[in-house]
Amino acid sequence: MRIKRRTFLKGSATAGGGLLASHFLSRQLETLVAQQSGSSPKEDWIPTTCWIGKQDCGMVARRIDGRVVNFYGHPDHPRNRGTLCPKGVAQIMALYDPNRVKTPLIRTNEKGIPGQWRQASWDEALTIVAQKIREVRERDPRLLVWQKGRSKAKPFYDEAFVKASGATKLTHGAFCSDAAYRASEYTIGLSGGLHPDFRYTQFVLAWGWNLTAAGGNRLCWITWPQQLIQAKERGMKLVAIDPRLRGAGHFADEWLPIRPATDLALALALCQQLIARDTIDRAYLSQYTNAPFLVGEDGFFLRHHGKELVWDMASNAPRPYDAPGIVPALEGEYLVDGRSAKPAFQLFREHVAQYTPEWAAEICGVPAEAIERLAQELGENARIGSTIVIDGIEVPYRPVAIMTYHVAQQELGFQAVRAMLLIMMLLGAIGAAGGQRIDLGPWKLHENFEKLDKIQIKDPPYNIYLKDSPYFPINSNSSAIVAKVMQNPDKYGVDYIPEVIIIHMCNPLAAFASTPDLFEGYKKFKFVVVIDAWLSTTADLFADVVLPAAVLEKYEGPAAASDQYLDATALRLPVMEPLFQSRGEIEIYLDLCEKAGILYGPGGYLDQVNKALHLSDEHRLPLDRKPTVREIFDRWAKSAGISEGVAYFEKYGVKVAGPIPPKKFYGYVTDPPFGGVRHRLYGESLLRYQRDMQQRGVDTSYWRDYTPFPTWRKPTMEESPPTYDLYLISYKLIEHKQSRSAQIPLLAELAPRAWLDINPRTARERGIQDGDEVWVESHNALTGETRRVRIVARYREGIRPDTVAIPHHFGEAVRHPWAAANGAAANSLFFTGEGYVANTSDQSFHVKVRVYK
Amino acid sequence: MARYAMVIDLDRCTGCRACMMACKVENNTPQANFWMYVFRFEEGHYPNTHIWFMPRPCMHCDNPPCAKVCPVGARYKRVDGLVATDWDRCIGCRYCEVACPYGVNYFNWKKPSKNYYLDWQAKDVQEVTGGAVPPYRNPDLDQPYGAERRRTAGGGRLKGVIEKCTFCVHRVERGQKPACVQNCPLFALHFGDLDDPNSTVSQLLRRKPSFRLLEELGTEPRVYYVGGHPPSSESHQIEEVRVRV
Ligand code: SF4
Ligand code: SF4
Ligand code: SF4
Repeated sequence: MRIKRRTFLKGSATAGGGLLASHFLSRQLETLVAQQSGSSPKEDWIPTTCWIGKQDCGMVARRIDGRVVNFYGHPDHPRNRGTLCPKGVAQIMALYDPNRVKTPLIRTNEKGIPGQWRQASWDEALTIVAQKIREVRERDPRLLVWQKGRSKAKPFYDEAFVKASGATKLTHGAFCSDAAYRASEYTIGLSGGLHPDFRYTQFVLAWGWNLTAAGGNRLCWITWPQQLIQAKERGMKLVAIDPRLRGAGHFADEWLPIRPATDLALALALCQQLIARDTIDRAYLSQYTNAPFLVGEDGFFLRHHGKELVWDMASNAPRPYDAPGIVPALEGEYLVDGRSAKPAFQLFREHVAQYTPEWAAEICGVPAEAIERLAQELGENARIGSTIVIDGIEVPYRPVAIMTYHVAQQELGFQAVRAMLLIMMLLGAIGAAGGQRIDLGPWKLHENFEKLDKIQIKDPPYNIYLKDSPYFPINSNSSAIVAKVMQNPDKYGVDYIPEVIIIHMCNPLAAFASTPDLFEGYKKFKFVVVIDAWLSTTADLFADVVLPAAVLEKYEGPAAASDQYLDATALRLPVMEPLFQSRGEIEIYLDLCEKAGILYGPGGYLDQVNKALHLSDEHRLPLDRKPTVREIFDRWAKSAGISEGVAYFEKYGVKVAGPIPPKKFYGYVTDPPFGGVRHRLYGESLLRYQRDMQQRGVDTSYWRDYTPFPTWRKPTMEESPPTYDLYLISYKLIEHKQSRSAQIPLLAELAPRAWLDINPRTARERGIQDGDEVWVESHNALTGETRRVRIVARYREGIRPDTVAIPHHFGEAVRHPWAAANGAAANSLFFTGEGYVANTSDQSFHVKVRVYK
Repeated sequence: MARYAMVIDLDRCTGCRACMMACKVENNTPQANFWMYVFRFEEGHYPNTHIWFMPRPCMHCDNPPCAKVCPVGARYKRVDGLVATDWDRCIGCRYCEVACPYGVNYFNWKKPSKNYYLDWQAKDVQEVTGGAVPPYRNPDLDQPYGAERRRTAGGGRLKGVIEKCTFCVHRVERGQKPACVQNCPLFALHFGDLDDPNSTVSQLLRRKPSFRLLEELGTEPRVYYVGGHPPSSESHQIEEVRVRV
C-alpha cells in the first residue's frame, strides 16, 4: 500500500497524547486493528492469550494470509494492557519451530538412555495408550498416575481426566511456592503467596526474589511491576529482604541482604519488636483471630460444648469466644476450673520474647539496628486504628504489606511464611486497605482453611505422595517424595508401585529437584506417556509414547484475567490450524478417553467436564456424543451468561466484568468479615498433628516443625562440614519460564545458559576470575552425599559474599539446536527428602556448597 | 512537520528486555542484531550496590556523524528527525559503524535468510509460511517510506549492508508508536513530537531533568533520558547478552 502524505501527517498528529493514555482500558482492540490494517487485503487479527507464562496475558495475533506475523499485547487485558514480556513476544518462534515434536512417537530402544523413535499415527499411539489405561484400571486404578506442570488457565480438562480415569494426580507446586499457599490457607484461609494492595500501600517488604524478577504471587512479570511502579511514584517505600539485590533491582529504597534460609528468624524478631513496641492491632486480634482463645497447659484450647473459650474481662469469667458483649483478654493468666490457662496471644508474646533483634542479627546477618528500625517503620506506617473511605465504604487502613513467593521453598518455609503472616496480623493489615493480600480478586475463603485443620492421619497403606500419612500431614504433593517412595515403598508404608504415568507439559527430570532421585524414581514406571510440544529430558529418557501438543494453535481456558482489582476472563483461541500433526490437549483427551472407554455416560470425561466447568443444565454437554472443543467453550461462555458464546471471545478476546467492589475485596468489610473465620495466630491443630506423628513413631525431622507457633531452629544444611562454606540459592529469569522456553531461539539468545552469581570478594579468595569455569559441589548434611556441576562464575556486587546463586530453566529440552547442552541445572545440586523438604513436603532450594576451580 | 524524539524514563525501567524482543520480531532483525539493547548495570560495592537499567536504541542524532561519512547518501537525516538507512543504496563500507559513537549499527555478515536462528526450510513449515523467512516476516517493511519514498524499514535485507534502529518508520508513518515503545510493560519508553507541547515527550522533558548520551560530542541525540544518570566507569554491565554468531 502507498502511504499518502495525508496519512503521514495524521500519524504525526496522533502520536503522543496523554501520558499512558493509550494504555487505559477503552476498547482499544478495534483501534489497534484499524491502525495497523491495510498492508494486505488478507490481513486479520485473532485475540488469544500467551501460552508461555502463568498469567495468560491477552494477546492479539496479526495474521497475513493466515500466517501469524506478530503477537501484540491485548490493549484491553487488565493484566498486561497492550504489552508483553520478552517471552510473550518471542513465542512466535515457538509456533513455527521445526524442532517441535511433529508426530506421535513410539520408543524403539530401552529406557533410561536417550530415546530412539519411530513415527506413528495418532490412531496407533492413542490405541496403545488407551489399552494400557484400560488394563491397569481394571487391575487397580492406583496404578495410573497423571502429572501436569503448571496448568494454563482453569484446569477443567485436567480435573475431568483425573476424575474420569481415577488416576492419582501429581502437581508442580512443591517446587514452586506451595509452602506459602499452605501457610496462607492454614493461617488466613486464602490460597496464595503474599502481595500488597498496591493501590493504597505505603510500605512494602519485598521478601525473596520475586519483585521485578520472577513475577510472584499468582501473576507473571508484567502486572506486579506495573502496580509496583505506580505505587513507587506515589511515594511507597520498598525494603528488599533477599541475599541478592537483583530481584528488587532498581526499586529497593533499602536492601537487607539476609543470610539464606533465615527468613523465619527475622520474621520472629519483627514479631517480638512489634509486641515490645506495642504497635499491635488489639481490636483485630481480639475480634478476628484466635489470639484471645484460652490455651491450657497441654497446649490445646479450652472448650465448652465444643466452643473455644476466652477470658471475658467484663465478667471476669471464661466465656465462649463468640458470646455477645464480651471483652476478651489478650494477655494474662487465668484459672479455669482450677487449671491455669493463657490467651494464645499471651503465649505468643512469651514465645517470641527470646527472638530479640540481637539474636536475629547473629543468625540472619542483618544488623540489629536495621531490624529495630524496620519494626518501627512497619509500626508507624501501619497507622493502626485508621480507616479510609473507598467508593463510599469505610475500610480499615493499614498501608503495609509483604510481597513474597518462591522463597517459601525452604526447609522451614511453611513456618517462615506463617511468621510473615503473623507480622501482618499483629499490625491488623490482613485484608485492610493498603495491607496484606493473598489471593487475587475477591476475598474468597479456601476449603483448605477447614481441611488443613481437620486432617486425620491414617494408618498405612498410603498413596505415593503420602497423603494423610504421619510424614506430611499437610501435604503439597511432591514428585520428589514420590520418587523416593517409588524406590522404597515399604519404608513409607506404601503397598504398590504405580505402573503407568501420563506426563503432560511437565518435565520433572529437569524442572524439579533433585534430579538423581527423580531419575531413579521415574525409572520404575513401566509405561510413560508424555504430552509435550518438544522432546523434554523426561520424554527422552523415559517416554514409551510421545504425543505432540499444539502450542498456540488450540483452545484453552477459561483464563482469569484479573489484575487483582478488575474482574475479567479470557480464552486462548487457536491462532492457526495446529502445525505439523500436533493437536490441542482437549482434543487429545477426548479421543483418548473414547478409546479407553471413559468418555461417555455418567462419571465419564464429558460428565466430568460438565461438572468442572459448572455448566448450567441448559448448556451441559450431552453424555453420548463427542463435542468439538469450540463447542465446549461455547457452552461454557453461554452458561457463564455471555449470550454470544465463544463468538464474544473470538471478537474481543477478553471479557472485563468491571472493578471488584470494596465489599468483596477487603476482608474487613466483606459479609461476614473475612468470610466469618478466625485467623489462626495459634496453630492448635499443628500441635495435634505433632502428637499423633510422635505416637506413630516417625522420625523427629518430620514432626519437629509442627509447632503451634513458628519456632526457629537451625536448618539441616548447617550441619554440613565447614568446607562447604557457601549457600547455594536459585532463582528464575524473566527471559524464561519453566520448561516452555529454553529452546525458543529468541530467548535462548538473550539467556542461553546458566551461570553462577558470586561476590567478587568470595571469588578472588578462591582465585576465580569473572567468567572462569568453576565446580560447584553440594553436600547433603544427613547422608554425606556430594554432587557437583561445572559452571561459569560471574562477578556480582549484589549478592552476599557467603552466597552463590544459579538461575533455573536450563537443561530442559533435548536435541534442540538452541537448548541442547545449555548447561548446568541447579536442580541437580539440590537434595530432597529428610533435611531438604519442609514439613509440608515442599522442596527446599537451599544447600551448602563449595566452589573451586 | 513533526520533530520526533524518544524519552526513556529510567525510573520506570525494570530491565526486562521486552523492548528488545518487540524490536526484533517487528523489524525482523537477524540473529545477533539488537537495534534496541538494554544494559543491566551494577554500581558500587557490596552491600552498597545499586542496580539500574538503560535501554539504548539508535540516538537519531540531529548532528549525525554516521550520515556525514556515508559516501553514497544511504544514511541520511529525514526532515522529521529520523536517521534512516536506505538499504538499496548501502554499499557496506561500514564507515557509519565506525563514525557512530553509540555502537548501534549492525553489519549483515551473513545472508540474512540464513541468519534467523533456525533453518526454516522444512517443508511442513513452508506449507504454512509460504516460504517466508523468518516465518513471521512483516510485509509492512517492504514498503518505501517518507516523502522521498525510499526503502528504509526493517532489517534482514541483504548480506553486506548496515542496519540499525529506524525509529520504526513503518509504524510511525501509520500513526503508531515504535514497537519497543508500544510494548514496554512499564511504559518507560515514550515517543512523540517535540514541537507539540502537549506530547508525552514534551511533558516529560518539562517535568523531569534529562540527559543525553555522550552529549559532549555534539551529536545532538533525539533520545533523552529522564530519572537517572549517564553510565560511567563505575557502571559494570551484568547479564550482558553474548550473542552466538
Ligand atoms: S508476563 Fe507471562 S503471561 Fe504475560 S506475556 Fe509474559 S510470559 Fe506471557
Ligand atoms: S521493555 Fe521497558 S521496562 Fe523492559 S527493558 Fe525495555 S524499557 Fe525497560
Ligand atoms: S524504535 Fe523501532 S527500530 Fe528502533 S529500537 Fe525501537 S523497535 Fe527497534
